[in-house]
Order: sequence, then C-alpha cells, then structure tokens
Amino acid sequence: MNVALIILIIETILIGMIPRAMPIFASALGETVDQSAGILNLGVEGIMLMGAITALLVDFFYHNPVLAFLVAGFVGLIFGAIHGILVISMKLDQTVIGTAIWFVGWGLSGVLYAATFGLSSSPPTVPTLPHIYIPYLTNIPFFGRFIFGEDPLVYILIGALIAVDYFLNHTKQGLNLRTVGHDPRVAEIMGVNPYLYRYAAVLFGGFMAGIGGAYITLGIVGSFYFDITAGMGFIAVALVYFGKWKPYRVFVGTLIFGAVYVFYFMMEDLYPKIPYEFYQMLPYIVTLIMILVIGTRAKPPASLAIPYIKGE
Amino acid sequence: MNTKEPIIRMENIVKVFPNVVANDGINFEIYPNEVHALLGENGAGKTTLMNILYGLYKPDSGNIYIYGKKVNIKNPLYAQKFGIGMVHQHFSLIPYFNVLENISIGLNELKINLNLEKVKKKLEEIMKKYGLLVDPEKRIEEMSVGEMQRVEILKLLFRGANVLILDEPTSALTPQEVDELFRSIRDLVKEGKSVVIITHKLYEVFQISDRITVLRKGKVTYKGLTSETTQEALVEAMIGKSVSFNDFSREQIKVEGSLRVEGLTLYGKGNVPIIKDVTFELKRGEILGIAAVAGNGEKELIDIIFGLIKQNSGKIILDGKEIQNKPVKNRIEMGLSFIPAERLTRGVAAGLALYYNSILHDHWSEPYIKHSIINEQEMRNFARKIIKSFEVVAKSEEVLAKQLSGGNLQKFIVGREMLRSSKYILAVNPTSGLDVSATQMVRQALVNMRNSGVGILLSSEDLDELVSVSDRIIVMYKGQIVGSFERHEFDKIKIGALMLGKNA
Repeated sequence: MNVALIILIIETILIGMIPRAMPIFASALGETVDQSAGILNLGVEGIMLMGAITALLVDFFYHNPVLAFLVAGFVGLIFGAIHGILVISMKLDQTVIGTAIWFVGWGLSGVLYAATFGLSSSPPTVPTLPHIYIPYLTNIPFFGRFIFGEDPLVYILIGALIAVDYFLNHTKQGLNLRTVGHDPRVAEIMGVNPYLYRYAAVLFGGFMAGIGGAYITLGIVGSFYFDITAGMGFIAVALVYFGKWKPYRVFVGTLIFGAVYVFYFMMEDLYPKIPYEFYQMLPYIVTLIMILVIGTRAKPPASLAIPYIKGE
Repeated sequence: MNTKEPIIRMENIVKVFPNVVANDGINFEIYPNEVHALLGENGAGKTTLMNILYGLYKPDSGNIYIYGKKVNIKNPLYAQKFGIGMVHQHFSLIPYFNVLENISIGLNELKINLNLEKVKKKLEEIMKKYGLLVDPEKRIEEMSVGEMQRVEILKLLFRGANVLILDEPTSALTPQEVDELFRSIRDLVKEGKSVVIITHKLYEVFQISDRITVLRKGKVTYKGLTSETTQEALVEAMIGKSVSFNDFSREQIKVEGSLRVEGLTLYGKGNVPIIKDVTFELKRGEILGIAAVAGNGEKELIDIIFGLIKQNSGKIILDGKEIQNKPVKNRIEMGLSFIPAERLTRGVAAGLALYYNSILHDHWSEPYIKHSIINEQEMRNFARKIIKSFEVVAKSEEVLAKQLSGGNLQKFIVGREMLRSSKYILAVNPTSGLDVSATQMVRQALVNMRNSGVGILLSSEDLDELVSVSDRIIVMYKGQIVGSFERHEFDKIKIGALMLGKNA
C-alpha cells in the first residue's frame, strides 16, 4: 500500500465517522447528565427509536427538518418524564423500568411506522441534512471536509458538548447535580432538592436521546426501518462508562465507535467473502473491549440507580 | 452564668415514632458561649431532639424559640439560616469531591459560576480564625476521620453557624484526635459560638462541657451546670439505677482443648509484614485480650484465624487439628464463632429479617435446615430467644437487621454468637458504640461464656474493657506480640506504653 492510499483511508474514516458517531453521541451526552444525577436510563434505545420515527413522520409530512428535530426531542422529553415519574417519584427499579421503556419505544415506533406507511410499500424517504461548505476552508486537503464540511447539527452538538462539560464541572448547579448523583441525602442537607435535579436530568437525557434518534433518520439514512437503531442506545449507555462520566471522554468514545463503523464498510468492500454480519458486529465488539479495558476501573456516581427515599 | 438568656429554647417537644416515644415533652436550652452536653444512652432520644432542631424531623408538638421568637424550622436550610449547624455521625460529605467542592454544594453565595478561588479565600480566613486546618484541595476519600470532622465543622462555620451540634463526635477518633477536637471546641466557644455535643461517654462530659442535660427514654432526667454535678448523679440520671463496674464473678472450670497459633505471618503490599511470627495459645474457659492501637495487625490476625484472609506462613491448631488451610465453613463447624467490628456490613445481612440473620453461621445445619428444607419455626424461635435474653429492642423477629439501632444490632449479633454452641469466640470491639448498660451486659455475657468453658479471643480498642474481662492480655505492635500479661499483672500504663511501641 502506498502513502496516498493510507491517507485516503484515514481521510475517509475521518469524514465518515462524524455522522456515524453523532446519534450515539447525542444520546450519550444526555445519559452522562442522567447518570451524573444518579439516574440510570437503560431505555435510551427505545427513546432513540421514538425520536427516529417522530422525526421521519414530521419531516415527511411538513418538510421541515428543524421542526422534525424539535418534535423528536420533545417526544424524547416526554419519555424522559415518564421514566422520571416511575423511577424518581415512584422509586421503581431503574433497570426494570429502563428495559420497559426500551420495549415500549421499540414496539411503538414500529407500530407508528406500519400504521402510517403500511408494511409492504417501499420505504418513504426524506432528504438528509445539508452540509455546510465554507469556501476555501472546506477545500483544505485531508481535514478540510472533516472540520468545515459537516451538517449544522454536528456543530450544534459540539456546542452542546462544551456547554454540558462547563455546566457539570464549572457551575454551582452542575456541582449540585453531581452531589445528587453521589449522595442525595447530603444534597438535601445542604439545601439542594434532589428530586428537582433528578427530574431536570431525566428530561435532558430524554430530549437528547430523541435528538439522537432523529439524527439517524434525518442525518444519515433519510428513511426509517424497523429497529433502525440496532443497539446504538445501549452503546451510548456503555460509552458513558467508558467516558467515566466526563463529556469529552464520552465524545472521544463515540468517535472511536464511528471510526470502526466506517472501517467495517471499507473492509467489506476489500474482503467481500467474509459475511457482512461479521463486519457489522465489529463496532460493538470494539466497544465491548474498550469498556473491558478502560471502563471496568471507572467509578460511577455512588448513588447511581439507587432511588432517593427521604428520611431513610 | 445562670443569668444568661438562652439563644435557643426548645419547649415541650414531643416526637412519636411508630412503637416508640422518642421525645416526651422535652425542654432544652442552648446558651451563648457554652458547651452543652446532651447525655443519654442509645435510644434516649438525643439525636432525635437535635434532628428536630436541625429541621430534619417535624415535632408532633412543642415549640422552638430563637432569641425569644417562635420559629418554624421546616428543613435544614432554615436551620442554617437561623445559624444552627449539625454534624451527624455519618458525615454529610461526598468522598469523591475535595474540600472546596464539598463546601460549595448548594452554597447561596455562588450564583452560577463555580468560583472555587473565592470559596478558598473565605475558607482560609475561617481556618485561620478558628485554628481548624485542612488542605482545601484534598479529596475527602483521602482523609482521616478527624480531618473529615474538621471539614464538616468548617462547612457549618462557612455558612455562618452560631450553634454547632456535634452528634457523637468522638466515636471514631483516636485519642490524639479527640484532644485536638476538644481544643477546637474550646476555641470556637472563645470566639462566641455555642456547641452542643451529643454523647453517651461520661468522662467526655466532664472534660469539655459547661452545662449538661441528661435524657432517659425521651424525658429529661437531669439538667444543670457541669461544675455542680457528680459522676454518680449523672449515671443515675442516665440509667436510673446504679451499675457496678469491673465486678464479674469468675469461676474456673477445666475443659480440655485450645486454639493455638504458631508463627503466623502475613505480608502486605511490597512484602511489608503486617503480622510477623505471632504465636499464642487460647485455652477454653479463658478470655485472652489483644491490646493494640488500630492498624497494628490485630484486625488481620482475627480475620486469618477465622479464615477470611490467607496467611503467608504459620499454623493454626484448633483442638489438636491444623485448620490453617481449611475453609471458613469447616472452622465454624469445628466450633469457631466471630463477632466482627463492622456490624452492619459483616455482622448481618442488613436487608434480611432478624430471624434469617439469627442463623447465619448455622444456616446449613439442623435444626434450621433439614434435608435442604428450611425450618422457619426453628429460626424464629432462636431469633426470639436472642431478642429476649439480650434485651434487643425490636418489635419482632421480622424486623430487618438494618432497621435496628447500632447498639441493638450489636446486642443481637453478640447474642447470636453466644447462644449458638461454639467453643471459641473471636470478638472485635464487641461493645463499641453501646451505652453503659448494654456494654455491661455484653461484658457480663462474655464472662459467663468463659465461665461455661468457651475460649474468647477479644480484640478491643477499649483498654478498660480488656482489663476488666480478660484473664490474659497480649499486646500487639507493628504485627508482633510485644508483651504478655497475666491478670494479676495488669497495668494500664505499662500496656498502653507497649501499645505505642515504647519499652515498658
């Protein structure tokens, strides 16, 4: 292999990994905030599916991607609120409820799709998001396209990353939220309302999972099919552990996932004899290994997945 | 002193919990520039009363006045606004955060930006003023208990606390740390603060307090200045009857058998010896005390004998059989019992009912298990027997272990190990955190067991306890036995010096 080819491969991976990483990243960023407040939301997968179908329906009928994202985020927020009522106020088991949320999103998204478009018709399509090309800058070789040629949501999500990291680590409210995740009893004694912060976290987490799901339909595929998320929601949850609840690390984790995803597309072209299911499995295996190697030593918020019962 | 007006007056406070009246019409006053000791046995209602003042509980009736004005303290935030701060026995700190972050949680002075520099500046002023020093950047999880306590007090001072309530502040401190704490308390009072200390330790009251209120079963039984009272009067107020100390009748019966440890050695990280060549013999019908400052291998020694840690070399011989390579279960079946120091985490399964907990150590054997079937009735009977004979305050055997107060739980565990038929008992701090009468009861039980032919290896932080119940005492220092005393040779000063590594 010559140098030019290697550079081409790297460039392809760089350009391709961003859109692949974004749905997971949006959801994982929400989950990071969720978990920092002590809420484990295993239902991300289901909420992403709801976001994906919602975005398709809105964009298909109203041709307005901005509206589609907002409505998808709102639906995610509703799911987050339901999750919150069940696990924060009713103090039910977070693992069980998270799984239930996943199933509801999984089934409901399929039903909505089938009820609207039928089962046999060819899948409906919507245009994917336009990319922003900046004259000259985008044409910089190697990483011009990578940095200056993404769709608007990518830049918005990068902004969200910076904002969430600043919020968690450099604001009083962020400290309060992390306190709630470590020990809600301490938070309460210090005059911080644990329920308030936990609700805020689940609403944000739900909203971001909705956006993440919407990005699959509007940012990558331009359509919807049953179980389109294919486990990305669970990868998002896993990458929060990999990222040790630090937004920037979580971001890096999702980029690695995206890179492996693109890599498997290329390998599939190079070695078509190996069944494509094997390649499809690769990103998930890499994520698993990443977590095994790095994530096992991670120290989760001390009260993660433990409901707060006043006075106990 | 008596002409002073109280800052805080609690009047006729009543608080009823299911099954128990915690506070039964209590009047309590806090005066400026004073250390007020709130004295009483476990479950007397001390902490409940202070939690009411701190806004954690709502009283069923009664009023609170601050500077003569009636107030309603709805939650800790209100209490803090009124200048009241409380340090609980379980610290309210996030171990993962450093001092500055812990102080900044929910801090009103900060708006949005977490300006730790600003917090640090103010903290340093407070530290200087009261002589309470900690490293502001240090994480709580890296701190000693004494340091954590200082952080807790600083946190309250930071929020402008005028009245500091300390719940059992000395229970987890070393003697040096206790001295330091008492010095700080005096400095605080000098600077115009008032301090309430909740305790059940009599001698502390005389060391530090100006005024005393004694509670018993939810009622005030004594109130007055420390300078005008006596130890006897307080004991009587606390427990209602006078108890005698050090008065155990010893009988000698001859039972064959011994637990022998030969050349036991354990290495820690980097091949540093934790236990080095320890040899001793515990006979049946004898109490052998281990005197050591915490962290000198005494904990590991007990764990090794019970089989929880594997030794690097050495032998453990129980009634003539080597058991050093046997699993815990075998050792239990051969007659070994264990009363661990960590009662809630190692002594019981916290989330299970008492009757399940009553058969731990025997949960594979008859009469509780017959042909793999649990006999619940037998378990319940045994649990009831423990509850009855050790005066455990519990509604029934169905109560969960974690719902018992610390003292009651310890009585339950001690009762369990003593009522099961064992030949040797390994006991670690069996009376720590217990009140006077419970302590007396446990010690009596230990001696009774000894009289009936059980060998007891007793590791205790309380030298008085060792001296009062042991037949022999061995002293451990840096993993080695540095001294051995027969009962008639007991000398607390000599033993204490050896514990600190000095030559007696």
